[in-house]
Amino acid sequence: MADVVLSIRDLHKIYPGGVHAVKGVSFDVHEGESVAVIGSSGSGKSTVLRCINRLIEPTEGVIELRGEQINTPVADVNEVRSRIGMVFQSFELFSHLKVLDNITLGLRHVRGMSKSKAEEVALDVLERVDMLDRIEAYPGNLSGGQKQRVAIARALAMKPEVILFDEPTSALDPELIGSVLKTIRGLADEGMTMVIVTHEINFARDVADRIVYLDNGQVAEDGPSSIINEPKTERLQKFLSSMHEDKIPEDIENKLVSAQADHGYVPDGTGNRPRS
Amino acid sequence: MNSASPGIERIFSWSSIDSKSRVVILVSILLICWIPHSSGQETITGWNEAESWTDYDLNAAVIHGEIIWVFGDSGTVRLSEDSGATWQNHTNLGDSDLISADSYENSMAVMSSEGIIYMKDGFGSEWITIDSSQTGMKSIALTGGQSLVIVGNEGAIWQYTGQTWWNRTTSFTENLRDVDFNGDEDGLAVGDAGTILATDDGGATWDYREAPDPDCSIASISYFNPYRMFAVSDSGQILYSTSPGGFEWQLREIESAGYNTTLATNLSSIDVISSSRILFTGPDGYLALSLDQGLNVEINILPAGVNTSFNDHAMFDYVSGIVVGDSGVILFTDRAGENQDIGFQIPDYNNFGEFVEYADDMLLSGFIATIKIVLFGILLGFTIGVILAMLKTTPTSFKNILERYSTNQIRALGAVCLIIGLWLLYTGVNRFPELQLEGLEYIFTPVGDPQGFAMFALGLGIAAISIQFILADKKLSGPIFKVRPLNSLATVYTDFFRNTPLIVQFMFIHFGLRLGMRIQQLMEGTFGDPGIDGIDYFFYGDRTFLSAIFTLGLNSGAYQCETIRGAISAIPSGQMEAGRSIGLTYLGTMRLVIMPQAIRICIPPIGNEMVNLVLNSSLAMVIGYSELSRQGKLMIATTFQIFSAWGLVMISYFVVTWTLALLLRRLEEKTKIPGLGISGGA
Repeated sequence: MADVVLSIRDLHKIYPGGVHAVKGVSFDVHEGESVAVIGSSGSGKSTVLRCINRLIEPTEGVIELRGEQINTPVADVNEVRSRIGMVFQSFELFSHLKVLDNITLGLRHVRGMSKSKAEEVALDVLERVDMLDRIEAYPGNLSGGQKQRVAIARALAMKPEVILFDEPTSALDPELIGSVLKTIRGLADEGMTMVIVTHEINFARDVADRIVYLDNGQVAEDGPSSIINEPKTERLQKFLSSMHEDKIPEDIENKLVSAQADHGYVPDGTGNRPRS
Repeated sequence: MNSASPGIERIFSWSSIDSKSRVVILVSILLICWIPHSSGQETITGWNEAESWTDYDLNAAVIHGEIIWVFGDSGTVRLSEDSGATWQNHTNLGDSDLISADSYENSMAVMSSEGIIYMKDGFGSEWITIDSSQTGMKSIALTGGQSLVIVGNEGAIWQYTGQTWWNRTTSFTENLRDVDFNGDEDGLAVGDAGTILATDDGGATWDYREAPDPDCSIASISYFNPYRMFAVSDSGQILYSTSPGGFEWQLREIESAGYNTTLATNLSSIDVISSSRILFTGPDGYLALSLDQGLNVEINILPAGVNTSFNDHAMFDYVSGIVVGDSGVILFTDRAGENQDIGFQIPDYNNFGEFVEYADDMLLSGFIATIKIVLFGILLGFTIGVILAMLKTTPTSFKNILERYSTNQIRALGAVCLIIGLWLLYTGVNRFPELQLEGLEYIFTPVGDPQGFAMFALGLGIAAISIQFILADKKLSGPIFKVRPLNSLATVYTDFFRNTPLIVQFMFIHFGLRLGMRIQQLMEGTFGDPGIDGIDYFFYGDRTFLSAIFTLGLNSGAYQCETIRGAISAIPSGQMEAGRSIGLTYLGTMRLVIMPQAIRICIPPIGNEMVNLVLNSSLAMVIGYSELSRQGKLMIATTFQIFSAWGLVMISYFVVTWTLALLLRRLEEKTKIPGLGISGGA
């Protein structure tokens, strides 16, 4: 077994209003492993993720990054965060900065790189997410899928030890999801350590090495991605069957077919209309 | 990389203005410069030219009774009985040049270059000729009916008294050029190399006086009275002494010559005609008058065609008299030669043109003064606004500050604070009885005893907080730990400035706290005296200016704070999370991520606030700062044109605020980010 990068022990979070969102969650993330955290709404997935890089302070429990506890008042929270990448559901690109500057901001002001060095690194990661052609654009002029790929590049540029994905595709139109998922799959193939909170069951099964199923603030099931096909617990079975009822894949298929019929082309998720 | 990037630095640059706007701006500037400033006023000479019937150089003039006598080269003598307007011939006195003359009570004497003295003792009496047998004599002074003193080259001094000549030459042998007596005892003789000799016994014995400039060649002296002695030198200096006996001499620092000690022209003669008026003459048509003992010297305009060298004056009183010069020129005046303004009339301010001519200078200075305080006020206000807004939005609570310390440490801190707080409270409260207030009057304690009240308030606050520190549990769950102290401080500030009237703040800060004076003194201590102009004066020469910018800035900051805070809270919280998640600090995220977006959002309301600041600046008139409104009031005080004065002031304010609004509109367009916010238009 590879080294443990991230270790979560008995995590509790009670919100100020008294809602006990996370009730003793524990799991480990190993080097090069991608862990998908799934669960229904309100099961505490996002809370766990935000506790990991201390955007939310856990009420109790221990979070360790490479064996070093990070949720103590004395830990340097900025240093910890610069080692953990985060990709948000709603992208959260800095809308006053161009794509390139979005990525160099952290490199220059956190890593202390020079402008030219930072741009070199930025161009490199933008190439990895296939966004080299839009480096001068403002986020407001990008499609959702492009924004999310830039956000992934921004996290990648900091060379994090682990990247947290907070429902990276749920704010996207179904046609745009493909390009983002492709990018994340590419990262998984490169051996990036990742924790992905997602609703895309199929994606989780394909990409994740391990699935953690949260229900009501607790880990209900934790195992290899095969548990999607052979759920052991009744709660996961129930959850999966409710997901399948939505029949999203067929919907996407229908949309693509109708788009082909209406416009004469299939959207590729980049927002660019093919020139004829 | 070269695509147009919105940035504050590009907005006001010339290169970012399109060619059409450039033309408009240039033409406007040209028009403003071109508007002519006409004035119907003209200045003419105060001298009239008289016909002297001679072309010989005239060297000396003297008044004897009602008659003015003029003496010139080759024995020329002219006299006038009507204050110099018309002149008659008189028999020549010898055929040598007559160079110096003097009168004393009813006697008069004139000396020729051959040393022959012609004298009249009594009005209408015959000429008496006395031969001194001396050549090279320069000046004569009468000390009595039949006694006189002459001085000349190589220090020669001869006294004639009791029908006898006495040689009074001293050991100082520089050439002497002029001698003058006040009464019959006290006299002064001056000459080259700064020679000043004084006598107090009618010219029998002479003492040396030290000149302020040992190299100056003193051409002429006027002994007006024991406290007013003036002399001039060839190099244009004015020497004066105010000590009886002429013991101490100084050089006049001439204000009208930029506090120099020289008029930068050769002077040949001086005549003190009243206790403050002095006439100066010199070569090449130099005639000048000072009305304040030589502090300010104004050159007289001469009648057309006169450009001669002048040699001597003779004045009846302090206004009427004559001046004589080379080539037989005689000028007479009845106004001491002072230039006269003609075409000057009392302006009719009912005529709008004349009103504007009077008002525009005042308006311009008010305009500049207003812009000055507005610019600095906006800068200060915006800075304070941003700082306050950040203080108000910072999430730092007591819990955040204290959670890294153990419970015991916090309790110990609480105990220490409690003691300090109680001591402050006790000391403060104990001071209050001295104020002798009763009941509700205690609301005024912050004014009656600011220090005592500060101790009381601080003590109360610290004590209340520290009790909860002492009772702290492990999770710091007490209500005090949710308090954000920086936010509270900022709230106190904004509450104070937003709940008191600006006009009262102006008067309290300027007259009460005397902030302007304190800053000025501080700056004087650091940078030295501000002087009367230049950059130092601009920044701290005027106390009301300092008070005004601080009052406006502090007040506006309180309002701008709320506007900026609103803009900050309009930024999605995810932006802060995104900034923090790449490892930026809280302040770093504020600076690099939140503020650049928030400021863009709040440009319209901040513009509102800035326009308000311009309009509020009119209240600076209550502390005596000469901005537009005060200038308007002053205009009315002189002209009584109420409608026109306030009208002009209104237009000026409109120009300032409208320009500001235009600039802000431009700023808004230039800093707009594609896809951020709804702004009407793409």
